Amino acid sequence: MAFLDDIEPLKHTALQELNAASNLAALEQTKGAWIGPNGKFTALMKQLGTLSKEEKPAGGKLINAAKVELEAALASRREQLEVKAAVPQEPTDFTLPGRRRALGKLHPLTQVTDDIVRAFRKIGFAVADGPEIEDEYHCFDALNTPADHPARDSQDTFYLATKNGADTAPLQTTAVAAVDRRLLRTHTSSVQIRVMEKQAPPVRIIVPGRVYRRDNADATHNPTFHQIEGLYVDKSVTVGDLKGTVEFVFRELMGSDVKIRFRPHYFSYTEPSYEIDFTNALVKKMGKDWLEIAGCGMVHPQVFETVGYDPEVWTGWAFGFGIERIAMLRYGINDIRLFYENDVRFLEQF
Amino acid sequence: MKVTLNWLKQYIDFNWSPEELTERLTMLGLEVEGVQKVSGAFDGIVVAQVITRDKHPNADKLSVCRVNDGNGERQIVCGAQNFKAGDKVPLILPGASLPLKPGDKDPFTIKVGKIRGVESLGMMCSHEELLLDPEAIGLKKEDGLLILREDAKVGQPFGEYLGRSGSDVVYDLEVTPNRPDLNSVIGIAREIAAVTGNPLRIPTFNIQHSTFNVQDCVAVRLEDAELCPRYTARVIKGVKVGPSPDWLKSTLEKVGIRSISNVVDVTNYVMLESGQPLHAFDYHLIAKDAEGKPTIVVRRAAAGEKFKTLDNQERTLTNEMLLIADERKGIALAGVMGGANTEIKDSTVDVLIESAYFAPVNIRRTSKLLGLRSESSYRFERGADAGICDWGSRRAAQLILETAGGQLAEGVVDVHPKPAERKQLSLHFAKSKDLLGIGISHAEQVSYLTHLGLEVVSQQPGDCTFRIPSWRVDLKREVDLIEEVGRLFGIDKIPSTPPRGALGTNAFDTVYDQIGEARRILAGLGLNEAQGQTLISSAEPGMRNMESVMLANPLSSDMDVLRPSLLPGLIHSLRHNVSRKNHNVALFEIGRVFTNVNGQTKEQRNIAIALTGQRALPFWSGGERDAKFDAYDLKGLVEEFIEQFGLRGVLFGKREESTALYLDSAAATLGGKLPLGEIGQLQPTLAKKYDLRDAVFLAEFNLDLLLAKRNPAKSFKALPQFPSSRRDVAMLVPEATTHETVLQTVKQAKAANLESVDLFDVFRGKSVPDGLKSLAYAFTYRAADKTLTDADVNAAHEKVLGALKMQLKAELRA
Repeated sequence: MAFLDDIEPLKHTALQELNAASNLAALEQTKGAWIGPNGKFTALMKQLGTLSKEEKPAGGKLINAAKVELEAALASRREQLEVKAAVPQEPTDFTLPGRRRALGKLHPLTQVTDDIVRAFRKIGFAVADGPEIEDEYHCFDALNTPADHPARDSQDTFYLATKNGADTAPLQTTAVAAVDRRLLRTHTSSVQIRVMEKQAPPVRIIVPGRVYRRDNADATHNPTFHQIEGLYVDKSVTVGDLKGTVEFVFRELMGSDVKIRFRPHYFSYTEPSYEIDFTNALVKKMGKDWLEIAGCGMVHPQVFETVGYDPEVWTGWAFGFGIERIAMLRYGINDIRLFYENDVRFLEQF
Repeated sequence: MKVTLNWLKQYIDFNWSPEELTERLTMLGLEVEGVQKVSGAFDGIVVAQVITRDKHPNADKLSVCRVNDGNGERQIVCGAQNFKAGDKVPLILPGASLPLKPGDKDPFTIKVGKIRGVESLGMMCSHEELLLDPEAIGLKKEDGLLILREDAKVGQPFGEYLGRSGSDVVYDLEVTPNRPDLNSVIGIAREIAAVTGNPLRIPTFNIQHSTFNVQDCVAVRLEDAELCPRYTARVIKGVKVGPSPDWLKSTLEKVGIRSISNVVDVTNYVMLESGQPLHAFDYHLIAKDAEGKPTIVVRRAAAGEKFKTLDNQERTLTNEMLLIADERKGIALAGVMGGANTEIKDSTVDVLIESAYFAPVNIRRTSKLLGLRSESSYRFERGADAGICDWGSRRAAQLILETAGGQLAEGVVDVHPKPAERKQLSLHFAKSKDLLGIGISHAEQVSYLTHLGLEVVSQQPGDCTFRIPSWRVDLKREVDLIEEVGRLFGIDKIPSTPPRGALGTNAFDTVYDQIGEARRILAGLGLNEAQGQTLISSAEPGMRNMESVMLANPLSSDMDVLRPSLLPGLIHSLRHNVSRKNHNVALFEIGRVFTNVNGQTKEQRNIAIALTGQRALPFWSGGERDAKFDAYDLKGLVEEFIEQFGLRGVLFGKREESTALYLDSAAATLGGKLPLGEIGQLQPTLAKKYDLRDAVFLAEFNLDLLLAKRNPAKSFKALPQFPSSRRDVAMLVPEATTHETVLQTVKQAKAANLESVDLFDVFRGKSVPDGLKSLAYAFTYRAADKTLTDADVNAAHEKVLGALKMQLKAELRA
């Protein structure tokens, strides 16, 4: 029975050692030394068999109670030590820059185009597309541009070289328009024709895309730039509808404080034609009253006749503007060439 | 087109301020590109009348006067003695300045002030103060105030009283090409007349004709009536060529035309006033026939014919160019510029005035071919008004007689074989409502149009037919009349209506979104989006093998070809960045490329990637922090993109040889057949050429194909219910054995329940013989319906191991 008297002091020592373990490995070792298969406490339990039948229940109870106590102490110490182990070896300085993952940026022209498209889609427009290499018919003739119009000049429009090396049709011949020369589209308006040729009215599309003009690159010109074209053809479409849509889109794009002004103008493929000026705090800050931003008008009946729409039944409007210009205004960019240099310090700002 | 406020007011009354005129013209479609105020002589000095003159209460030599300045009375303290109540005098108002005296630096500016305790609101002036010689302007020279003529108009600007040019405002207007009639002061005045409803004052004539007849002075032979539908000639004899009077000189100078001589200035003045270009010849320099009568011949130039224009340039003409000639020589390049041989000089006594109409296209071509533009050619090429040739000629004759004297021959030689019939157009009033979206009364519609010079031919309740004036070449159909109604009514008064109507559809609409998705995936992978130039140089690397699409008229050899690939542009962008010390660059671009395929140009959307420099953002710890991009970064990006974009079965086949562009590359194909694109490392020699020091990795794919072949449809696959078993295998294989070969071999072994095969190590070096490499794979086995036993797994795995040993000659390691 003497060993029963050892329980209490042994437990006491075990508890002390468990609590003294300074790390998880030491704790496991201590655990082994006491309650492992060869542990001192385990050995004690093995002596239980030596007890008499009458003494056994009381002795068993005693040992079990002590064991539960030891295990509880072990679990609690283990938890303490686990927490301790999780604390980083070196202190964390949360002001240090973290290990970042790069996220790329969409080009500002893409972002602006997406915003414009989003604004138009809210009011039921679908995005359409067309070729950048065009013929004179779609770029000029079908848009009612006179055969001798300066826009067709090889000064202003890029023409493709032909296989036999012939240059652009010389201007002095009277048959300038007789050859349907191929060119880089000077405006997205050519897609109006492409779409109307294929699709019966009503039409409600926008066309973002690249266009080309033979301008030397400078702060406000690049031979390649982007436009977006809107075309809406339906029954009884009016100038009022044109105004309503344009105002909606520009408010979406430039903010609700924007003011829009329509000014009579001339384009060969719309009649009446207007230029659109806008103003807001930004424009005033530039010291201007108005800034020209887009051209528009009611589709010329001649254009409808050309694509086989009956102008007595259908009316419509079209409008177009430069995407770079919107982006430059929105972000305060002062040189159009920045868009095409792809300097990452530029791209990462948007 | 430049026009001044005062000039406009000669033809039309309006009481708008200069600012309001800017606004009005703009809203009429005449965009004002510039406004310049011109100060006149004696600004702020007016003709005033003395009403009372009383002695100053505090000074003997001063008087206090009440003076009428035309707007009202004001009190002036004055020291002069030579005047009385009722006298008219020059009065300078507060804020205005006296003319600068020689030697003065700052002008003397009049202020409101008290003189000996009495307020004085201006100053009455002496001739000394105004730097005037009274006798030169017909007034008495005396000490004290300059006393003006009794009939002087009180309130009149003093400069105007003297006949000097007053202050004015010059407007620079952008005239749209459809409105040649607005290249004239009267044309612009007509617009104002239409908005205000005030009458337009067109100058009338009161010319004394002489006794001789123009038919005896000149004949005109029109040889090409297509290029010159109308030619008129008048002759004035006995002019005195000299400087123009002030009004003419200053009017021209304000709008930027240099004064030359009275006769020449008049032709310019009438051109600006009416839009009709005119030319004056020295009559005696035109070759005459035996009876002393010259003939003007309107003919095409002979090919190669030489002609010296007024600017003393000898020009070589083509037979497409129209020449005004006499029987011996050319005397003017029709519609563009006169000839040096018949120029008006100080010695000229007799003048022939040409007023003609030339076909626009021909003038434009001539002017362009010769690189010679003039106010005249500008107007003819935009379309002048054949209807006003004679009016312009008469107006010029009248002004020449007024400014240079002489006698006008009776009549005009007017060759006009086929006068155009004036067009008629009908306007249905309801149509303008349909198009403009607002109802404008019929009367108002008719009134706008008639004020623009259209004449009503007939009017019914629902429509009206108009005769179109000759100068409105732009009015061709009904919609053009509706535009005029809307313009004069005011676009700002048309109410906006909210968007309505049918929803749009277009096949491209979803493609736009898919392209956007591709962009966002790549941006999410850490690449910045680039936009390159479409036009690049045919000297770029990799360009020569392509069937390139060349420009006929490039701006320069740097931009002479349409890009057949996005890579040259991206490489340029890398260079741009690296040269600016942005060494770590990861870019992508989505854009069109252009090639010639069997003689047809082809446009295709491509997607391309370019990487150089460090793969990760800067960090302050870790062994790999400075690691540069390598081929597997590129491959990883491409794989992730391909998977996220919804493409399956893309294989990469290594190219055996370097290419012009790539040192080391692989072709990406769909299932080994359909080429999708290429990935690889840029040739170091090329990289060096572009100052790129770090390795450059490039990829380019045909986006149109990716779009066609992607399958973004997603469907749910149940999560596994039973555990998996893993077997790791390390093996030595020859260097040439690719991962793809291993996968194919495993696949062909058809091991049961093999779920996945993952490569986790590639090793060369210590303990691996040369020419071999060690590959380590994890094989995961799992059944959908039960937990696999070891025996199940081992049986399957043995098949794999067998295949690897047999087919790849792999040496399996533990």
